[in-house]
Amino acid sequence: MLSTRTLRVWSWLHKWTSLVSTLFMLVLCITGLPLIFHHEIGGWLGTEVVAPELPRGAQRVSLDRVMEVAKQRFPTKGGMFVSQEPDDDKIWYVTMSDTPTSETDLKQVAVDARSGAALAEPKLDRGLIYVLYTLHVELFAGTAGKLFLGFMALLMLIAIVSGVVLYAPFMRKLRFGEVRRERSTRLKWLDLHNLLGIATLTWAVVVGATGMINTWADLVVQYWRNDQVAEMVAPYRGLPPLKELGSLEKAVAAARAQEPGMRIGFIAFPGTAFSSEHHYGVFFRGSEPLTSRLFKPVLVDAVTGEVTASRTPPWYLSALLISQPLHFGDYAGAPMQWIWFVLDLITIIVLGSGLYLWWVKQRAPKPARRSAAVEAVR
Amino acid sequence: MNNNSNLNVWGWPIVLAVLCAVGLFCGLWGDGWWDWAGWIGVGVPTAMAVWFGFRGRGAPRP
Repeated sequence: MLSTRTLRVWSWLHKWTSLVSTLFMLVLCITGLPLIFHHEIGGWLGTEVVAPELPRGAQRVSLDRVMEVAKQRFPTKGGMFVSQEPDDDKIWYVTMSDTPTSETDLKQVAVDARSGAALAEPKLDRGLIYVLYTLHVELFAGTAGKLFLGFMALLMLIAIVSGVVLYAPFMRKLRFGEVRRERSTRLKWLDLHNLLGIATLTWAVVVGATGMINTWADLVVQYWRNDQVAEMVAPYRGLPPLKELGSLEKAVAAARAQEPGMRIGFIAFPGTAFSSEHHYGVFFRGSEPLTSRLFKPVLVDAVTGEVTASRTPPWYLSALLISQPLHFGDYAGAPMQWIWFVLDLITIIVLGSGLYLWWVKQRAPKPARRSAAVEAVR
Repeated sequence: MNNNSNLNVWGWPIVLAVLCAVGLFCGLWGDGWWDWAGWIGVGVPTAMAVWFGFRGRGAPRP
């Protein structure tokens, strides 16, 4: 059995890591709740782009044409990314920017992949989903906000681990799932806090840890660029930046020939975080549930349209990519989304009851303020 | 503390934790039956949390 002293340390750790992070975790849980259904909400709000039905096997326009169409909408901007949704290859989303590394004033044009018609200009910097997403990811505070939330996630993970350690002394005299409702409000919420916390333990750890990993995304991609991309494009080092880009269609066709059977996830233009100064980065997805999350990059010379290099992503990039579905819950279909929804609600209750239990203890007269865990084992 | 009380305290939490971990993994691994395994694995601990949370278990048997 844990000694009283050890219990005190764990109890202190649980109290302070929770207190510091709870408010931010509540913001994350509340903004995260609608984000689970962002596609569906976009559909209701009419912001989701839908491609018209055309006969099966309709011709597809060349990507050079797609870029022309996008360019007509934003003549002063250049290409940054071209992407498609995993489940819909009828639409190309072209992201345009002033420079390849711009972070503001990005524009997007959705182009029908078969007719070449401009379908919509999805707004990347306004709307309900944008506000919720930006709050959730960075609290409107850029990279600093991301890293701050990552640190809060770390505190919450410590709070979870310490909570598990404290679970045993509280449960000594209770059966699993027992909630003492009649004795006092405090006891009822204490039992609920313990029950809901322990039952959702694995999920909370996984979503917390993958959320923390996701806050490092920019850094991981940057590292990959300096590490593997730099090696792959070594012969191009020192060459002047490109003035004119070669055919995107030709480049993508060359990349496709290299990776038959895979689907395009997105294409990064030269100079962006996902490519080199002289290449189109073509990122392929596999067709299995798991491999569809893991991108395989092919770098294509942006002038000649010939493949320069292709490498399976390193472990750290794969870890980042696998962290995404495990955080978002956007896999295994709608039932998983709803389970995520319920688990998010339960987490809100755990956070709220934890705050309440701390508050009640604060207000209690001095002698009763002895650590509840220590008390429980007496 | 004896092994029996250890098992009383940690039995269900361990079962639910492992079930959830397996579910999270299965859902990601494949489609069809794998998705079902994912829903059950993650769903059962969730359902138990909701069930006991609302209904609770009464006082221990005398």
